[in-house]
Amino acid sequence: MTIDELEQLLVQQPVAVLHRLARGRVHRHFRAGKRRLIEMILQHSSQNLAGLESDVQALIAERQSQPQPPQPPARPAGRAAASPPRRPAHRGGEPESAEAAVSLAVWLEGIGVPAPQPFVPDPWQEEALAALDETDVVVSVPTGSGKTYVAVEAAKRAIAHNQTVIYTSPLKALSNTKYTEFSKIFGPDKVGILTGDRQENGQAPLLIMTTEILRNLLYDAASGEIDIRLDTLGLVILDESQYIADPERGVVWEETIIFCPSQAKLLLLSASIGNPQDIADWLTSIRPTTCRLVRHSKRTVPLRAGYLHPNGKLVPLFKTAAIPSGHAGHLHPEAKRLFFEYEEETLPSGRPRR
Amino acid sequence: MPPSIHPVDLIASLRQKHLTPAIVFLTSRRACDEAMESFDHADIVLPPVRQDAIAAALERVIAQYPSVAEHPLIPTVQRIGVAAHHAGHLPSWKIAIEELMRQGCLDAVFATTTLAAGVDFPARTVVITQSSIRKSRDFTDLTIGEVQQIAGRAGRRGKDQVGFAVVTPSPYIDLGVLTKGFTGHPESIDSQFSISYPMVLNLLKAHPHEQIQAILAKSFAQFQLNQRAELLERKLDGLHVQMEPFGPRVCTDWISQWQTFDQVRRQRPQRHQIRRHESPELSARFHFMTPGRVVGLARGRGIVLRQYRSKGQKNPMISVLRLDGAVTECPASNVGDIFDRIFECDETPAFPWCSAAAFDELSYQLTELPTRLPTLPIMVPKDSEVLPDAIVQSLGDFPCPSCPSRPACQKDFATALRLRQEQHRHTKSIQALRASLWHRFQERVEVLQKFGYLTPSAHLTDEGEWARLIRIDHSLLITEMIRAEAFTGADPSLLTGVMASITHDDDRPGSFPRISPGLSSLLGQVRKLAESLSPYEDPPLLRADVAALAERWIADPTLTWIGLCRLTTMAEGDIYRLLARTLEFLSQIHTLRATHPGLAETASRAIALIRRGVLEELP
Repeated sequence: MTIDELEQLLVQQPVAVLHRLARGRVHRHFRAGKRRLIEMILQHSSQNLAGLESDVQALIAERQSQPQPPQPPARPAGRAAASPPRRPAHRGGEPESAEAAVSLAVWLEGIGVPAPQPFVPDPWQEEALAALDETDVVVSVPTGSGKTYVAVEAAKRAIAHNQTVIYTSPLKALSNTKYTEFSKIFGPDKVGILTGDRQENGQAPLLIMTTEILRNLLYDAASGEIDIRLDTLGLVILDESQYIADPERGVVWEETIIFCPSQAKLLLLSASIGNPQDIADWLTSIRPTTCRLVRHSKRTVPLRAGYLHPNGKLVPLFKTAAIPSGHAGHLHPEAKRLFFEYEEETLPSGRPRR
Repeated sequence: MPPSIHPVDLIASLRQKHLTPAIVFLTSRRACDEAMESFDHADIVLPPVRQDAIAAALERVIAQYPSVAEHPLIPTVQRIGVAAHHAGHLPSWKIAIEELMRQGCLDAVFATTTLAAGVDFPARTVVITQSSIRKSRDFTDLTIGEVQQIAGRAGRRGKDQVGFAVVTPSPYIDLGVLTKGFTGHPESIDSQFSISYPMVLNLLKAHPHEQIQAILAKSFAQFQLNQRAELLERKLDGLHVQMEPFGPRVCTDWISQWQTFDQVRRQRPQRHQIRRHESPELSARFHFMTPGRVVGLARGRGIVLRQYRSKGQKNPMISVLRLDGAVTECPASNVGDIFDRIFECDETPAFPWCSAAAFDELSYQLTELPTRLPTLPIMVPKDSEVLPDAIVQSLGDFPCPSCPSRPACQKDFATALRLRQEQHRHTKSIQALRASLWHRFQERVEVLQKFGYLTPSAHLTDEGEWARLIRIDHSLLITEMIRAEAFTGADPSLLTGVMASITHDDDRPGSFPRISPGLSSLLGQVRKLAESLSPYEDPPLLRADVAALAERWIADPTLTWIGLCRLTTMAEGDIYRLLARTLEFLSQIHTLRATHPGLAETASRAIALIRRGVLEELP
């Protein structure tokens, strides 16, 4: 066996084996990372490669004969960061450093289309709808959890009570999309859209508009020039209401909420935000009824994060298949290594910027 | 290694791992378009079945929006099953892409991160290529909320069991921002309440002035300010408790008393210090220790080479050439005698502080000096500084020396003063928090009174009555222009041109068609007016090229959309948005028909002229 072959063999071994090998050969071997360890072992035994080789073989044989002790589930993140696993190459088998980390196959598992199931509303959707019968509701849930379902059901119920429903979105493009979508659900004669200069189906029970338009209507109503059926207004749905924090337009949402007639219920649909309770408390403080907050952070369709290297290699981004909430440091060692490599090569200074 | 993965390879990898359909978020529109172009030479062709599905789906969209039919990208999209979706496209094209995506006909869509909120369609996978976005000229890191909003598009309910967010690096990506975004808790949001002129007018129209404060108090802004104020009030309560042992003593307000005393005491040591630093005697003598001067030191004489001040030394310093040819440093206060003898000294900025020749000469002269030298008579000014009378008197009047509670006061004073100052600070902040919105409102009211929209009693004037109907950005500029009769006799194209340049707030460069002299001079007036209003309202960009573009669209009814797009380098989507926003502004002017019938009529004619072709498709 040449020295290169021996190195390859060592690279494939777990660090524990290397440390056993280094015992008595290398001083302070426990301080070294894997790569340095291999270097030191080879350096030390450069005169006696055959002896080293036989020791390696013996150790491998010993490991194979006895069942492996279970590895500790996860190495502390700090240690992993201190010695990034950087090996020249690994051939065959799962990368050793991924011992606790999820493999790509597991990460990709479950991909595909679920069997068609009858639609069952989530508990939070039911909760929001039930609460809306009595009071204003603030919904703060992750993107794509089915806020639209709540909006549609709430609108249906209000329309059934002969009330007018106003649905606002922050962007004109979104208004148009919702107009098409709702026209399909409710029927074209039940849905209208209002823009600055145009009304389509202005007498329909469900009106779609941007929040600015609603604010202007409320201004007119406040000064006595009512041109909308505010008396029959039963429900105002403000979609994407996290826009209240928009530096330029956020004020429009506040005005709309302040001037919203008290007999109409407010339904605020928002993506996940940090302080939905504040919004709910605020509504409680200015509206006649106690506002109900419906929030959750669990996605309906679970999300996994991956890392795609420019050379086309795909690896999981985190150690676990699911996103480890609150543990940004739990990176997959392979992803970390690849990204480190990427930064080394692309950053002009050659050092990762932090 | 390439700085980032090639789009064709990216799509290929995604396809291979069954991660399609995917939304790929790229840095800019240009990146999206270039990604599309890079497929030109790739031999990726969809199977005919899928091509037909795309064609069929497009048919249905075209039936509703005819402008889609001529889109140059249709063949590419059909061939490769990938499309771009960004603000540079027409809304109808974006709707078509969204429709194709919903029906699952496409494998991937390239979109810009900047407008991630406008991407309202889900996919199995979201690809993220950057960790920061351009916000008003600067690149800012994505917030946790934004990362989650982007990642949230991954995973279609009912169509996917899992969604995937895939990070692929591009230069200057910060993985930390993204991992924090994936795993973190979204940020709290804060109110961005601002008070605009139309808001003031509309509030005052509907409510009397004295009720406004109560209405402003209902805002989320005030709610959050109150939260902060309550926090401070709790602190203030704590301070009150801490202050209890420091209540009235022999004097009721002993803290103020001591504060005065303390201030006086602080002034005194300073005077001492100045004197100690440099005695008048020394400063008088120091002027004579110039280079070349012979001075007497404790041991022997020397010649001054330079003067300097050293940070570590209280006294000014001099470098002295000694008898043995050594150069020593000593404080000026060590100088015993200053002799009436001076030599030529050729100074240099570095050691030995004079030229070599001068150094030799001086060394020689030093040895040749006679044993007796006349000293220089130096007059030292009399120390005339005494404490000002006021302070001496106040010290004399100070009752404390004989006061029984003096030791206690002296001990507690520092703590008590700190607590009281904190109390004052908190009280002031609370007042500011409670009243800031009202003050901002009052500021606006004053401006509107100055311009005559409000009476001194804060009622709407006749001008205010109609001005409140203009509820858009730059409302003050627009109403002032109407009052200055800038639009009298203007035709629809001129009005549209000016409105377009007021609405447009994007500084993306665009080449422009020729502008008519009428519009050009009108724009000049508007610019001057905007300049003069700048203390009260931020002036708009007032770009001439967009004005000319909008003018052309109105002035020439035979101009087709394609023709209009050829006149400029602006993207289709930008032109569309420009005209759509101009429509909004014009429709606001149209609401003035009761007071300005002529202008409203012009506006409504302009609206009718704008709404043709592509602009008629969507409400």
